[in-house]
This record gives sequence, structure tokens and C-alpha cells, in this order.
Amino acid sequence: MKVNVKGRFSFPGGIHPPEKKDLSREVEIQPGPAVKEVAVMLSQHIGAVCQPLNRKGDAVQAGQKIGDCDAFVSAPVHSPITGKVKEIALRSHAVLGRSSAIVIEAFSYSPTRRSYFKLKDDFDEKNYSAGQICEAVRQAGIVGMGGAGFPTRVKIEPNPQMPKETLIINGCECEPYITCDYRIMLEWTNQIIAGIKLARKASGCSQVFIAIEGNKPKAIEVMNRALESFANSDSIKVIPVKTKYPQGGERQLIKAILKKDVPTGGIPPMIGVVVLNVATAAAIAEAVISDLPLTHRVVTVTGEAVAKPGNYYVPIGTSVEDLIEFCGGVTKKSAKVLLGGPMMGIAIADLKTPITKATNAITVLTKEQIGRAKFARRQTACICCGRCLEVCPENLNPTKIAHAVKYNFLDVAESYYISACMECGCCSYVCPANIELTGYIKTGKIFLARQKKKIPG
Amino acid sequence: MILANVLELWSSVWPAGVTMLGLGSGFALVLLIASEKLKVTVDPKIEQIHEALPNLDCGACGFAGCGQYAKAVLGDPELLGKCAPGGPETSSKIADVLNLQVSDSGPQQRPIVRCRACTADKTLYAQYQGIQSCIAANALANVQACGFGCLSFGDCTRACKFDALHIVDGMTIVDYEKCTGCTACSKACPRNLIEMVPFGYENMMIVACNSKETGKSTRSICKVGCIGCGICVKQTDVFSVEDNLARIDFTRYEPNEQAETAMNKCPTKVIIYRGKTAPEPPQPGKKPVAATKA
Repeated sequence: MKVNVKGRFSFPGGIHPPEKKDLSREVEIQPGPAVKEVAVMLSQHIGAVCQPLNRKGDAVQAGQKIGDCDAFVSAPVHSPITGKVKEIALRSHAVLGRSSAIVIEAFSYSPTRRSYFKLKDDFDEKNYSAGQICEAVRQAGIVGMGGAGFPTRVKIEPNPQMPKETLIINGCECEPYITCDYRIMLEWTNQIIAGIKLARKASGCSQVFIAIEGNKPKAIEVMNRALESFANSDSIKVIPVKTKYPQGGERQLIKAILKKDVPTGGIPPMIGVVVLNVATAAAIAEAVISDLPLTHRVVTVTGEAVAKPGNYYVPIGTSVEDLIEFCGGVTKKSAKVLLGGPMMGIAIADLKTPITKATNAITVLTKEQIGRAKFARRQTACICCGRCLEVCPENLNPTKIAHAVKYNFLDVAESYYISACMECGCCSYVCPANIELTGYIKTGKIFLARQKKKIPG
Repeated sequence: MILANVLELWSSVWPAGVTMLGLGSGFALVLLIASEKLKVTVDPKIEQIHEALPNLDCGACGFAGCGQYAKAVLGDPELLGKCAPGGPETSSKIADVLNLQVSDSGPQQRPIVRCRACTADKTLYAQYQGIQSCIAANALANVQACGFGCLSFGDCTRACKFDALHIVDGMTIVDYEKCTGCTACSKACPRNLIEMVPFGYENMMIVACNSKETGKSTRSICKVGCIGCGICVKQTDVFSVEDNLARIDFTRYEPNEQAETAMNKCPTKVIIYRGKTAPEPPQPGKKPVAATKA
């Protein structure tokens, strides 16, 4: 089958930054470092924070549930290693600042391992009922592994008010540097397809699209070939989408493939769509077929300042420090460590920050790259060129919002739909005046949140 | 000749002049009638209250300005005493206008900054290069090792309309001579470090720390952080320790010997005086043990 790699499916706006994926794209997924200690965050997802189920000093088995919560929008956490609960203490979190985590000390150095999962030949999703799949997904603590960390069970569970028709599997990986999803697609192809079939069964979707950017022809080919070998996979189609950032954004992907708009402030199920990451699909297969909880994930360690860039299968809770050390440490030129890629990643200050279920990459940038970066240069006045309007994938007016925030006109910022911004950073990337548009918009959102919490008088 | 010309000119000009005059008087009449018929009666009390207010338009009362507050307080006497810059004087003046009795509302509220770490005392994990404001810096977690302490980007100094807050060597200092207690600074702080407390005395003893981390981790990242040791609690029950943090019950505080002893015994010298004539806070004598280890 001839693959059309020139993806014509696209959305208005967006940019095409240097891909930089060559650093780790051909490196196979390898087992991560042998860890002595992991810190499993109690809040790794959007929704209610888990309560610890163990006390200090308790022995826990690998795969044992150590934190759970009764709330609907939540996901339990599991211990990736066999060991003892050392303490329940505060650990750095990229977004939440300091957040409580269960620190588990291994009895011995946990051996490095590959995924235990192996897809059996007699796999058939008909053997599982929809309710069974949803429950298994919930029990395994699966959350969206593309970055946001929304509990997957909530996404795939049928909702009579919002019937789902289309399932989109997100294998775009539009962010520069990151290659973990690409490697998963190449190496765990059958597992992903098994996961997709299970998710389709659970959500009741009739059509499935696997979206892969045109810059990954190998993944498109491998996926297509694997689909042919599976029975009952007619409704699953691989769609080569246009290579650009932020193609992997949920709303952008829906716009590109289905030409539909998700209402502002709304969620994809409102128009009958579910979007799952490829890594999430793989995790669903593990959870449902082999009853394995989500305790490990593939993380890309990359950037010019890393000695040995690659894709590693690591226990969730491993500290960034351990993982970078395992990759040969950083070179002297390193200046900035990001959780995630350079566009949407969050700079971390504490290298002891543990990896969570939603961490897809660690990017270490060099001093020169930082020096070249915009914020280090001088910001000048807006020249009203309108480039930010051209690239904004949400059709917003970033300059207007940023200036409104800067001069404290929050009502103006709100009237220009500040909350619709997903902070992709395209506007800051193209701004010739080096204005930190995304930074101001982010600040404005915090201002508004504060204002709403406290009503004067 | 000249006369003839002038007369000619006059004969062509006078209709225009008369028309204008007629129009003018006509509109004047309309305005006169309108001003009588559509008269808006302003309660003289509002103007009286407005005059009593300090007219700073600072917004401490929660209204857009002094005019708005004057209207609101007339409608709802419960709002009396919201004017922080005016203080009890203004309140009693307004009460006179409204024929009300004001009870003594106690000492005035003044802000205290619950962090006394100067630049040298703080531990920074990374260099922050983003937007130079506290609220933006606070969004990026863990730039400063202490997640509770002052970020010193000066959102509070910009919020202050009275030039009463200054950042000196990474430490936010309140000028109590200039401060009117308008609460703008405490609203601006993203870490809620600035607390309004009743200033019963010229100088108040405060616990200048907000860190709820355990004593060990506080000490490893800050030389002048509260470690929640509880030595102060043993001296006087004005102090209490909660979440690894000592607190003072300001309503019961009075300067006495026990409090003074507690202040002197504080190992990290986090209990200090703040006020109009407060002495320079002492520096912790010896280096904390945990800090050298870490």
C-alpha cells in the first residue's frame, strides 16, 4: 500500500519549528535506570487528589495500589517497585509547586526491565465487555499520557448525554525533540492496535482515526501494515496529517480531520469525539488484557546538552536527576531543563522532581540556545504586524490579550477570550518584537482565577 | 460714501444676528425648563460624606472610588468603617452625618510581611528570566527553594498608592509612617505573605515566616525561616505552632517580658519587631547546622 505522507489534513494557523527529532528518533526504547527510591505523586492527573492508602513503614509490592480517591474525575496511583514506604512528603511538582508524594524505597536495587506485556495471538476484544474495560482502565490508573493527564476512564465511558461516534488516536507528536510516541508506534504497534480496539469497544465509537504527522512515514507504514494483519479493523484508518505545531492539540486535531470545531470552553465529547494518545492506547491494552497498572512509561530524554539522548522505559516516580544521570549526565553547557518539549514544556528548577504519568520528555537545552531564546533578548514595542494572529490555532488576538493583562484590564482580556488560549506558544515564537505573549496570557489567567476567588467587600 | 457702505453692510448682516439671538434665547429657554423639570436631587448627605472621605480613590473599601463608597455607605450603614486610609476619624465624621454612633473598632489594621529573608538568606534553585512580576514568577514552581517566601519582584510595591512598601535587598519593608492600611498590598501578593493585623502598639512582634514545610527542610533552604520548634510557645501562650509554623495571636499580644524572652530565644531569629520605631532585626548568631550539611 502506498502511503501518502504529504498530510493534507490541517487546521488554520500553527507554526513549523525545527523538529530536532533526529537526536533520539532512531534510538530504541531501552529499560530505564535501576532506581533505589521513587516518589509517586498523589496528584498526577486533572481532578481530585488521591489519598495515600499506606502508612510510613508499610511494605508495598510492585503494582500495588498506594493511593486512591472516590471522586469520579480521578485516577489511582500504584507503586512501580517492591519496597517500603519511606515517607509521605512534599516533592517538587512542575505545575503545582510542592505536592505530596509517597516515597518508596526499594528493598534492593530494582532491576531495570522492559515492559512485561506481550499480546497473545488469540486476542479478541469481544471477550471483554464495555463495563469491564472501563473498570480495568480506572483500576489501572490510566490518564492521558500526552501531557494533560485527564483520567482516561472519564473520557471513554459512554455518556448518554454525549454519545460518542469518533475515536481519534493521537500519534502526531508535533512538539520538537520528543520521540517517545514515535518509538512506541514502531515497537509496540500491535499493543496500540489492541488498545484502540478495546477503547473503541468501551466508548462505542463507530469510526477510528489514527492521526500521524507526515514526517513519520515509517510509523504510518508500520501502522497500516499491522492493521491489515488484525481482523475486524476496517473502521480503523491511519490519517497522515500535516506536519506542523500544534497539530497534536486535541481541538486542532479534530479540526484537521473532521473539520469540526469544539465549542469554546467545551470538550470534544460535546461533538461526539474522543481523543486518546498512542501511549494511552498502549496502556489500555496492558491494563485490560494483562491487568497491569500504569506504573512505567516511555520518556524521551533529549536535547543538545544530554550525553546519550534516547527513549527510556522508566518507573513513574523516578527523579529527573536519576534519569539524566543514567543518560550519561548533562554536558557543561546545559542551562535549562524542561519537563516536556521546548514549546509547551515547563522549566523545572529542582532536579529531584519526580516523573509523573503525563511526563513525556525531559529536554535539556544548552546555554547558547537559551541565549538565543527570545526572553534573553530585549523586548521591544509591538509593531502591529499581526503575525501572532496568523499563527494562533485558536483564532485569538494574543497581542490584545497580552497588553490588556500587562496594563491590568482584565475585563478586556476576558472579552477577548483569554480562557480559550491553550498556551501553545506559537505567538511568542513568531513575535518579531520578542514580546512574551504566552507568558502574559498565562499570568492573566492566574490573575483572573485569583480575582474570582476573592470578591472585595 | 463710507456711511452708505456701512448701512449696506448692516442691512445684510442684521437678519443673521437676529436669527442667532433668537436661537440662543430659544435654547436657553429650553435648558431653563429642562433644568427645572428634570432636576436630579442629590442627597446633600452624599456630598457631606464625600467631603469627609480622604478622596484618595484607593479602592480599599471595595468600591470604585470615594464617590461610589459615599453613595453605598448612605444606603447601607453596615459599610461604615471600610475606609482604611481615613481610619476612625473619617468613620466618626461619616457617623455624624448619618446620625449614628460608632463603637470603638479597636486598633487599626496594618500589614505585616511574613518573610524576613534578604537575598543572602534565600536559596535559589534557578535563575528566573521571565516576566518580572511575582504573580508570573510564582506560576513557575520552585524557582526559589522556599515555596512560601517573598519573591521580591515587587507586585506589592506597585500596588501601593502611598509609596509605603519598598524592596530592600530582597526583603519587603513596610514604611508604617506612610502606610494607611488600605490592604492593596495584601491583595496583590500571590503567596498571601502580607497579612493585615491589628496594630495595638507602635511596634508589634511578628513571626516573619510563612513556611509550612518541616523544620528540617525549612532550615536547609533558609537561614531565617521558622522551624516550628515551639520554644516560643513555652514562654507565653500568645504563640502557637501549627503546620510547622509559629503564629502570634495579635488580639491578645502585649509587650511583656515573656514575649521578649521568646523573641530572644528564637533560634532562627524569626520573631522580630515591626512598626514605626522597630529596631533592626537581629541576625541569627551561628550558622544553622542543617544548612552546612546540605
